[in-house]
Amino acid sequence: MREKIAVLMGGRSLEREVSLASGRRVCDALEAAGYYVLALDVTADLVQTLRSERPNAAYIALHGKYGEDGTIQELLEFLGIPYTGPGVVACALSWDKSVTKHLLTERGIPTPAWVTLTADAFKEMGAATALDLIPEAVGGFPVAVKPGRQGSALGFRRVDGPEGLADALLSALSYDTSAIVERWIEGTELAVSVLGEGDDALVLPAVEIVPVGELYDFDARMTPGAADFFAPARITPGAAKAASEVACAVHNALGCRDVSRVDLVLDAEGNPFVLESNSSPGMTETSLLPMAAEAADMTFQDVVSRVIAAALSRAESGK
Amino acid sequence: MGTARIVFDRWADRYADCISGVRSSAVRDLFAAASRPDMISLSGGMPAVGLVPADAVAQAAHDAVLHEGVAALQYGGSDGRPQIRQLVTELMAEIGVRLRPEDLLITAGAQQGLDLLAKTFINPGDVIIAEGPTYVGALQAFSAYQPDIRCVPMDEHGMRMDLLEDELVKLGPRGAKFIYTIPNFQNPAGVTMSPERRRRLLELAREYDIPVVEDDPYGRLRFDGGHMKPLRSLDDEVIYLGTFSKIFAPGLRLGWVTAPKPILAKVLLVKQAADLCGSNFAQCTAERYFQGTRWRRTLQALTRTYAERRDAMCAALEEHFPPEARWTKPDGGFFIWVELPAYVDCVSMLAEAVERGVTYAPGDGFYPDGVTGKNCMRLAFCYAQPEAIEEAIRRLAEVIEDRLELYRAFMAAGALPSRQEGAA
Repeated sequence: MREKIAVLMGGRSLEREVSLASGRRVCDALEAAGYYVLALDVTADLVQTLRSERPNAAYIALHGKYGEDGTIQELLEFLGIPYTGPGVVACALSWDKSVTKHLLTERGIPTPAWVTLTADAFKEMGAATALDLIPEAVGGFPVAVKPGRQGSALGFRRVDGPEGLADALLSALSYDTSAIVERWIEGTELAVSVLGEGDDALVLPAVEIVPVGELYDFDARMTPGAADFFAPARITPGAAKAASEVACAVHNALGCRDVSRVDLVLDAEGNPFVLESNSSPGMTETSLLPMAAEAADMTFQDVVSRVIAAALSRAESGK
Repeated sequence: MGTARIVFDRWADRYADCISGVRSSAVRDLFAAASRPDMISLSGGMPAVGLVPADAVAQAAHDAVLHEGVAALQYGGSDGRPQIRQLVTELMAEIGVRLRPEDLLITAGAQQGLDLLAKTFINPGDVIIAEGPTYVGALQAFSAYQPDIRCVPMDEHGMRMDLLEDELVKLGPRGAKFIYTIPNFQNPAGVTMSPERRRRLLELAREYDIPVVEDDPYGRLRFDGGHMKPLRSLDDEVIYLGTFSKIFAPGLRLGWVTAPKPILAKVLLVKQAADLCGSNFAQCTAERYFQGTRWRRTLQALTRTYAERRDAMCAALEEHFPPEARWTKPDGGFFIWVELPAYVDCVSMLAEAVERGVTYAPGDGFYPDGVTGKNCMRLAFCYAQPEAIEEAIRRLAEVIEDRLELYRAFMAAGALPSRQEGAA
């Protein structure tokens, strides 16, 4: 009998549309690989549907809140349905950029200097009186300002001087209750995708992102032609090795499995700095993970098959 | 293994300058997130077509095919069928505009009329005058031809004629290609131009020899007060755009344009190039739908429904919105315009609103510079049920209150630039 896979997509997050696009491609790939596919837009009926359909595994093609923060993972654990991608703890750690950065710092993995400020710190504790301390804390302007927890660079801005800081923080705080101000590292932007886990992790070639406009923000991410991509990245073998090693270290430090994507920047000397990790990377036609796979001579279907096989093997081993 | 530059759109460098700058926007994707079933949308100006009796439309379409036969299925004249143009003259006579069928042509909604006029009049760099804020669809239609759009602010009586005059003095006679206005229940502001201002607008237009384009989709959707004469009834050089979208249904894509004869001849040429002719089938169906008096009762029911929804929104705004917010009180149409303190950014606030299950249209989209109006929002009361409107406004008020609290914390610390604090 063919195994039944529920592909979870859509949902309530701000990245609903991206997720639907990822999900449709994943469905096609799974069907082509011979699975019986159940495409599910995540709504209030989800649990009921999963209970009646009893899929062998769930493929998580959700992005953003509820899909990447551990919510859906915790629910699937409770329902006893094996699922793709990192587990509850790894998701919760990756979703919160500040927690990720603290953890990486503890493990000696380089990440740009940063400050995290929450809406409550501003409302209840007068944090706005300390904005003048931020440049010194992160090593001066320019800085990147972004929501503490959100995907697809929603609410992300570059700030070049003190006058733009408050506006950028307020904008970031529209997307989450916390905002991160991070030192801006001038250099080469890379996305490094990792498949598998632990010692068997397979690091795919780095994809280099060159925004055509000022920065690789949400609009640029969603508009073909707004950024140029190179895969593998146009960097020295030494730099490629360093990026690959650091991405693998992040994947394992956060306890990720099956798939994750680490975004980092190489400074002028070729030193990698980790910006964030994504536990459910985009799988659309313009997403970074599929580009990386192609550069490694893997098809989209290869990636999807590999990821679902890992989830199904966990089901068998009862892990 | 060689490095490959990844190309999504290999034609990217071939597109015309006027469209290559158009990008997907975060706002559009936030609206996409709003397709969720639990979301209450106050963003779109969709007519309540559910109130249009399906049997009447079915009958009209049935009769169109049965009685008009091949005519309904064949190409037609570029100016539209004589029968529907006759119908439009009757509709226009009811609002005080006397026309002959040859004085107008049928378009695919008033939106096509906007595009045809833009194509007819605008060279890159030409000045167009419009209200600020103005209809986003007009901005889109005009922008494709790369004009310099100047916005004239409004108050509760519509476009400010003193400010229009200032602009005209700067531009001089024939200094703009046309003045675009939505005098009735303006989209997005909801305000109506007073009779005095209408007369003054026409005087200034004559004095500076600049045509006026009157866009009047909502004129017949009046809830309070008496009918106001369209500009076209006061001056037969006014170019007037009408539509069946609000008095019947937008799905038929039927509108009309009337203009001085030479202009109409040019617009007709442009229309031929655009689509040869409109849909005869849609025109035949509309002709039949408007026979008899049932459509009038439907229009009354639609207007009553919109009035109830306007009342629900105004009451909810009074009850829930903070004292820092100001909003317009429309006597008709679809929209209320809300202005928040200058430091509030309604564009990023939309993310929070979507999280809370409500959408609105951020104000910056209604200005050509895409910056002005950031502290404003357009709320559409036309589509949601009164109870949903009340709930949506309650949710939105919480989002705004949360934002204001944050802004106050920044202001108390002197952390917001003073220009923004001053503008509050």
